[in-house]
Amino acid sequence: MSDKFSDRDQNHFDWPLFIAAALIAVLGVINLYSATSVYQGARSELYISQVQWLVVGGIIAGVVAAIDYRHLERLGYVLYTFGIFSLTLVFVLSSGAANNVRNANRWIFGFQPSEFMKLFMVIALAKYLHDDPRSEGRTLRELLVPAVLAGAPALLILKQPDLGTATIHILIFLTIVAMTRIRWQSAALFFGSMIPSGYIVWNYVLLGYQKARVTTFINPEADLLHTGWHAHHARVAIGDGGLFGSGFMKGTQNQFGFIPDQFTDFPFPVFAEEWGFVGCTILVCLYGFLTVWGIHIASQAKDRFGAVLAVGATAVIFWHALINIGMAAGVLPVVGVTLPLFSYGGSSVMTMLMSIALVMNVSMRRHGSVPTPDRL
Amino acid sequence: MKNLDPERARWIKIRMGMLCGLMGLGLGGIVSGAYHVQVDDGDEWFELAERQRQRRLHIQPKRGTIYDRNGAPLAESVEVPSVSLDAVEMLRGIDPKYLPMKIQQYSARVAEALNMPVEDVADKLTRRRRFAWLKRRVSEDEVQKVRELSDRTQRYPLAGLTIEGEGHRFYPNRELAGPLLGFVSPDGDGREGLELSLEHELKGHASEVHGLRDRAGRLLFSEGVEDEQALAGHNVYLTIDKGIQFTAERELEAAMKTYEAIGGSIVAVDPATGEILAMASSPGYNPNDYGAADPDARRNRAVADRFEPGSSMKVFMMASALAAKSVDPNATIYAENGTMAIDNVVIHDTHVSKWLTPTQCLSISSNICAAKIALGLGESRLYEGLRRFGFGDQSGIPFPGESAGVLRPRGRPWVQVETANAAYGQGISVTTLQLAMAMSAVANNGRLLEPLLVKRVNDGTGVTLSEASPHIRRDVVPAATAQLVSEMLVSVTEGEGTGVEAAIPGFRVAGKTGTAQKIDPTTGKYTDAHYIASFVGFVPVEKPRITIAVVLDEPVGGTHAGGSVSAPVFRRVGEMALRYLGVMPRGSVPMKLADLSKKAEAGDTAANTYQVMGEAKVAAAPAAGVVTPSAPMRAGEARVPDFAGWPAREAVKAAMGLGLTPTVEGTGRLTHQEPPAGAVLPKGAAVKLVFEPST
Repeated sequence: MSDKFSDRDQNHFDWPLFIAAALIAVLGVINLYSATSVYQGARSELYISQVQWLVVGGIIAGVVAAIDYRHLERLGYVLYTFGIFSLTLVFVLSSGAANNVRNANRWIFGFQPSEFMKLFMVIALAKYLHDDPRSEGRTLRELLVPAVLAGAPALLILKQPDLGTATIHILIFLTIVAMTRIRWQSAALFFGSMIPSGYIVWNYVLLGYQKARVTTFINPEADLLHTGWHAHHARVAIGDGGLFGSGFMKGTQNQFGFIPDQFTDFPFPVFAEEWGFVGCTILVCLYGFLTVWGIHIASQAKDRFGAVLAVGATAVIFWHALINIGMAAGVLPVVGVTLPLFSYGGSSVMTMLMSIALVMNVSMRRHGSVPTPDRL
Repeated sequence: MKNLDPERARWIKIRMGMLCGLMGLGLGGIVSGAYHVQVDDGDEWFELAERQRQRRLHIQPKRGTIYDRNGAPLAESVEVPSVSLDAVEMLRGIDPKYLPMKIQQYSARVAEALNMPVEDVADKLTRRRRFAWLKRRVSEDEVQKVRELSDRTQRYPLAGLTIEGEGHRFYPNRELAGPLLGFVSPDGDGREGLELSLEHELKGHASEVHGLRDRAGRLLFSEGVEDEQALAGHNVYLTIDKGIQFTAERELEAAMKTYEAIGGSIVAVDPATGEILAMASSPGYNPNDYGAADPDARRNRAVADRFEPGSSMKVFMMASALAAKSVDPNATIYAENGTMAIDNVVIHDTHVSKWLTPTQCLSISSNICAAKIALGLGESRLYEGLRRFGFGDQSGIPFPGESAGVLRPRGRPWVQVETANAAYGQGISVTTLQLAMAMSAVANNGRLLEPLLVKRVNDGTGVTLSEASPHIRRDVVPAATAQLVSEMLVSVTEGEGTGVEAAIPGFRVAGKTGTAQKIDPTTGKYTDAHYIASFVGFVPVEKPRITIAVVLDEPVGGTHAGGSVSAPVFRRVGEMALRYLGVMPRGSVPMKLADLSKKAEAGDTAANTYQVMGEAKVAAAPAAGVVTPSAPMRAGEARVPDFAGWPAREAVKAAMGLGLTPTVEGTGRLTHQEPPAGAVLPKGAAVKLVFEPST
């Protein structure tokens, strides 16, 4: 096997992917500096620890990218089981009410398992689809196992409660499924069943504040002082930026502390206020490039495992960016989803860097020798 | 997945393409959303953001200073710290179920720091207003404690506490011109006197200023509005001369005591310009402590009170009659041996006479003669004449609550006896100010001027905004008539005249006494028990420099006549004022003390103030620079302490406690004082204190 794994070539290092990710990370740190400059003391130093996370994460990402992704294939279900176990542990520990940030229990030992769970789920799904190499369209029944693989963590996370991350799990799953071949009837049936299941989720699964956020999204000005407050202030800041923005460190809505959670969930309004519509477009284009490039890599992957892995990892970045910017711009409801490489937070930075590392990993090995046919 | 059959590879490509397309669509949606918010509706959101961060200042810019005509401060603002509370900010993010407990807890901490009752703080917190004063005029110690409470590096900082500089009005001369100046409410609004009528000038222009605020409501000045001087209220220079005002008040006070009068007022006017040089009202009060003052004492009697003037009205009756040529200045009039009946009323003269000239009619103040001249003039011409002298009308002085006086109390023309009464000032009412202005018209060749109280208005940066100039109301009588009446009035203060007590050695004084019976409010009839004694005159007759009207209400004791009660007050005030104005008797070399003091002012405020405040012997007050700290102290002197680093309020308090008169510049802590510490100054001397904000 060693000869098969050694066909990595330094020349195949994916510079466009690296540069796009590095640009976002640099912009993110700059933005974090401005966002936290409001504070005195420890919080104004957050950008330094963000840089530290980026450095540590970058080194680990280098290792992850260097090890052939096909080794992950074997670890697929192990990692997945570990992830589910961590989530369950959070669930159990949370009944004792330890870490309580806005009544949500997401942390164990300083990490959020739900962040890493996305990647573990992607790897598990890749392994399952890889091991089930049918070429004809799949029926719903044949999608049951992948659906369970995605649904289990999603439900556990939803109960934390963290609607945003749960939604992202489902969206990643749907992205991966969209890439595989499905029978037309199955697709139709699936979308048909969305309506009753949506009804069930709305009435029996979602918590009060989560529902409030969605209703607020539909009518944001209805309740400005409570649930609509975040969205409203975020939008005021974005609007304040105008076409060219008010300039670095000059965003008054941010500097005067009007933007809520400006270094975690709402870094985008800070960026938008200071760099304007032009800056926003550039940032969205960077995320867009990462997405298109990731799918391009997937389409050239040597095997199905690599393809699903690349699509899944890309989907992690894409959906985070889309939902975060969407909620800040008032296009989507407010759910706690981070902006890749912009939001402060170790777990988030690590997850995003690992996602890019996985895409890089697949990218670096798409030019190699012909893989064994039985694996496709 | 290169090694697939073309059909499958194509499908994969299509699916990938679709996925790319969908994702691109999503990102495109976001970009269009951002476009909508930032560019399409950008202006709206921008405005909203602007509204969020802007807030009107509730901090008042510094209120303007009131100076006397020579630049001595009469009322100035010292900045003192006050603590305000933003209850919303303090209680932000507290779970409703812990709210009562937290309110108790916070109130206790705040109350302890500010030495105020816990319930008061709790009450203000419970109301949850964005702005409420917690405590005004806090001490340095309390400021420090509040800073500690809201220090964010501490463990449990309290949000929503703000220390704001608040202007505190300070009257360095204490009682001087109290009823004239009025006072300022704790909210910074002028409430009485000039503080009220000059509110527009003195108050800064707060409404024109916007500050930026952050989410906590803290104020952040944007660039461009830092020039606090431009926001500050205008400085007003009055026509009042502190020196003459001081003398007038001192003499009025003395007369009040001597004759146990219930009230009194003095108005001194420059007849050539209409500028009011002094306006005293007694009893007075200290506007620094207006709360303790009797509301009655806060009234400026010179403007607000009207009274029956008595014989002083004969001057204006005579001027009107002479102007109308209804009486010949050389005529002799039969004075009926002291008793005359008009209709069913009998009038008396105090000096029983047979034949009198118009001049004698004034000098011995014959009511009968005056009645005869008035009846000869006729009701309508007398009424018109008095109106032309300004009686029965407001003078237009910028002062609140001016009384117009009443000429025709029943609203109809006078009957015969009323005309006769009016001739010697009965049955009509006037104000002290009106008397002074009308007499000034006689002094000023028959030309009635508008009274001026404000000489100049400067903005905070020293630019002159307006400068008052004499304003002629009308030519009342021909100049020749006015001069004739002036000469007649000299006889009042000479020889047999009723007003000899008003004579100032070395000057020819024109004036007229007035002694009016008051109406007993219980019976509605004139009583012999209560009088109003007045004297109004000007000096020197050749070139009048000052008109002084002195009115004393209900003097008791051996005498109540204007000639013996008010005339001496006129003399003493006039004597001092002439000396101060540099008017020398009998053609001696003129030397203006006022000019001298102006020169002195440039170099040494203390010396200047000293001259103004005291007598001649203190003119040699030690100059600021040369005082030896070891100089021995005599009674009535004070040693200047070292104020370095003191907060404004404390320094001013201490200086006042020593009997010194502080003049204050700037705000914050003391950086410079003049004269230096250790200097020995007579009481009442000025100490210049310069403050700078400590940063």
